[in-house]
Amino acid sequence: MTKKKPAWQKPGVVFQPRLAQAWQQGIDQIVNAIAPTLGPLPRLTLYDPSVSKGKLPEVLDSGGTIARRIIQIKGRDRDVGAMLLRHMLWQMQEEVGDGTATAAVLFQAVYREGVRYLTSGGNAMRLRGYLEEGLRIILAELATMRRHLEGKESLAKLAYSICYDEPLAKMMGEIFDIIGAYGRLELRSANGREIEREYVEGMYWDSTLLSRTMINNPQQQRAELENLAVVATDLEIEDPQDMVPLLTLCIKADIEKLLIIARKLADPVLALFALNREKGRLKLEMVGAKTPGTSVDDQRMALTDIAVLTGGRPLFQAAGDTMRHIRPEHLGRARRAWVNRHFVSIVGGRGDPRALRQHIAALRALFARSTDARERATLQERIGKLMGGSATLYLPGMTQLEQEFNKEVAQRTVNAMRGAMRDGVVPGGGVALLACRERLRAYFADASEPEARAAGHMLCDALEAPLRTLLHNAGFEPGAILADIQAAGPGYGFDVRAGRLVNMAEAGIFDAATVLETAVHSAISTAALALTTDVMVHRRDAGDAMMTGKP
Amino acid sequence: MSENTQDIVYALQCAQNVCFAARASGLYRSTDGGRSWEFAYASLALTDSLPTTSVVISPDFATDRTVFAGVSGGVLYSLDGGDSWQIVELGMPPSTVSTLVISPDFGRDGVLLAGTMEDGVFRSGNRGYNWAAWNFGLLDLSIFTLAISPDFAADETLFAGVESGIFRSTNGGRAWREITLPVGYEPVLSLALSPAYAQDGTLFAGTESQGVLRSTDRGATWTQAATPDGPVNSLLLAPDFPTRPYILALLEHALLLSQDAGQTWREYPTGLNDMSAVLAPAGLAPGAPLIIGTTRGDVVSLVLPTQ
Repeated sequence: MTKKKPAWQKPGVVFQPRLAQAWQQGIDQIVNAIAPTLGPLPRLTLYDPSVSKGKLPEVLDSGGTIARRIIQIKGRDRDVGAMLLRHMLWQMQEEVGDGTATAAVLFQAVYREGVRYLTSGGNAMRLRGYLEEGLRIILAELATMRRHLEGKESLAKLAYSICYDEPLAKMMGEIFDIIGAYGRLELRSANGREIEREYVEGMYWDSTLLSRTMINNPQQQRAELENLAVVATDLEIEDPQDMVPLLTLCIKADIEKLLIIARKLADPVLALFALNREKGRLKLEMVGAKTPGTSVDDQRMALTDIAVLTGGRPLFQAAGDTMRHIRPEHLGRARRAWVNRHFVSIVGGRGDPRALRQHIAALRALFARSTDARERATLQERIGKLMGGSATLYLPGMTQLEQEFNKEVAQRTVNAMRGAMRDGVVPGGGVALLACRERLRAYFADASEPEARAAGHMLCDALEAPLRTLLHNAGFEPGAILADIQAAGPGYGFDVRAGRLVNMAEAGIFDAATVLETAVHSAISTAALALTTDVMVHRRDAGDAMMTGKP
Repeated sequence: MSENTQDIVYALQCAQNVCFAARASGLYRSTDGGRSWEFAYASLALTDSLPTTSVVISPDFATDRTVFAGVSGGVLYSLDGGDSWQIVELGMPPSTVSTLVISPDFGRDGVLLAGTMEDGVFRSGNRGYNWAAWNFGLLDLSIFTLAISPDFAADETLFAGVESGIFRSTNGGRAWREITLPVGYEPVLSLALSPAYAQDGTLFAGTESQGVLRSTDRGATWTQAATPDGPVNSLLLAPDFPTRPYILALLEHALLLSQDAGQTWREYPTGLNDMSAVLAPAGLAPGAPLIIGTTRGDVVSLVLPTQ
């Protein structure tokens, strides 16, 4: 006897209006879970992972993370609508790290009004076209409001508008004022009550000493060199004879300290050095560090960066280089270097500063062009390393739950801060979106097509939605405050913490421009696309297909 | 002073009629406004010369008697007007201090910065007792000159002239950002900020081969203000600039004066062709005294023309 399949696993075709109604219900469920987190006075969501044994509950305040935790909702038709929104929010969180609650309420407003209009007989494809036209106008208007922030106070205010945590925001302001948009920042959990930070000078890469006999600073368990030459390669140096050209080069150039960054220095090579130094035949002090990176690509990038920094030229196995081909131009120079069990660090690389700047500019251009999150993260890290230092932020927490929550908030703030510093900020608290309505109204004022007028109205209303939600979350009546903001004029908004109208720029209330633009873009374009969907086909689930042996 | 041809005068400083000359042979002090000089390191009983590449005096010298001198490997400080000295090392390998600047609000913040030839900028926030390298974003560690904002207490702004251009810090030297300079205009040997920098955003840069550049927007854009033949080793602005828009530019063989904020320049005859440092202790008003150091170690007193 075969077991009866649950309804949601059955194949089927869904038509309008059932599709739109179901999607709307699914979307509302997700948005209702996320919307309370919008604004400086949010409410939190507790995630209960009771199905995974031994896992602790999670306290969530990020729309993107909440959406990620909702993996399915009841009702197969509703679930598809919810997952459409979930996918959009997830992708947005990966891209810019914040703004998902704003995107969710915008999406909901556009979709809800769109469905209402289409139910009354509108044309979905024409409506989508006008929504996308309106989107272009909003993005252009937001671009005119962009400005760049400088100074730790301004940056701390920006950080506060992201994390709503005063001590964290203050620390973020100081750190980003120092490390800049691309600087290297490591987040670490720590037991305790106080948030702390540490700055480290120089550039360092993941690596390790190739022999513990090289340690010359036993206290810190590391090998240190001053005024040194640097050889950077991904070769494995097995034969002592391979080292002869390098040694000859060092003797000729009067080099006394040498850092070899290589995949391997075989024991006979190390023994040769040790013996010659013991007998006083060789003045050269050599330290070996493992080539940073695990993949060939990672190694190539790290070696290229080290070479630019030190003014040398790397030797690559893939290019047919060998140690026997080494020439003076392969040697880089640096003021100081150290290697321990975990890192190799170079301070004061003596490469051409112009070449270093060009290299960083090229990496930044690649970063700006790239849309791949992993590639962007790698580029971000490379630029940060080359900028000459790093910071570590120690996040307190008495329990694992608190530590994880603090780390997630900090990571989200870091991502959004980087975007804001790279691409600028716009007035926060929903004011920038409100300010776009004037141009939208002007653009659609003379439209003759009903879809154009509907798109104009829909977008103007939707642009109010984030501010309405923010005010609602803080316990204010949105209607009256919206009227006050309108009357106060451009640049004014409502500071929900102070409970009064303020000039947003003077009060330092900003949103990261990229975050807001991405939220608007994701919400409107995805909602416009969803509105053009008329039929949904549920396929038979994979398990079912396998069971029956049918495709 | 010395006739030693190697004894270059790197820097001059004066306060309260007490002047210091940083020279290759050491630091010299005058207590009569530059008329007579004595070896300031006498108390150290040195057996070898101690080349001194920079000197800076506390803005509160009248009360704190504090002087700093940059040498190879560290910074010397004196709390008694140069009678006795202590050294603070900058770390290994030894860094040659090329320039020192002191916060105008030194009495309160204790901030002092040292530019070095190979190791970037070191910063002290406790009156020179401890130093730490702060080179976040400083992609060129060969510092030729540092300039500090007159309104440093409020804006925390500094500029560094380096081998490959100019960097700016807006957080008291803790981090640096590159300033866009026209290609080919580097290296930058000297910098001077308007005393009203907080309001007018004006600064001047003296280059090795492209003369003097002027920016009126805090370094965002630059225009050429003068194209003399030779490296501009030093730039001085009138203390009441821009009310009195006088600028003095020192080249090895010429002293140029502009009375219109760098629009036009004229050469001021000094009879010297080996000038290396200049100081205008009483400003740049007509008839004001000038002290000029030379590459031979001489320190000469002159007077600015009355017209």
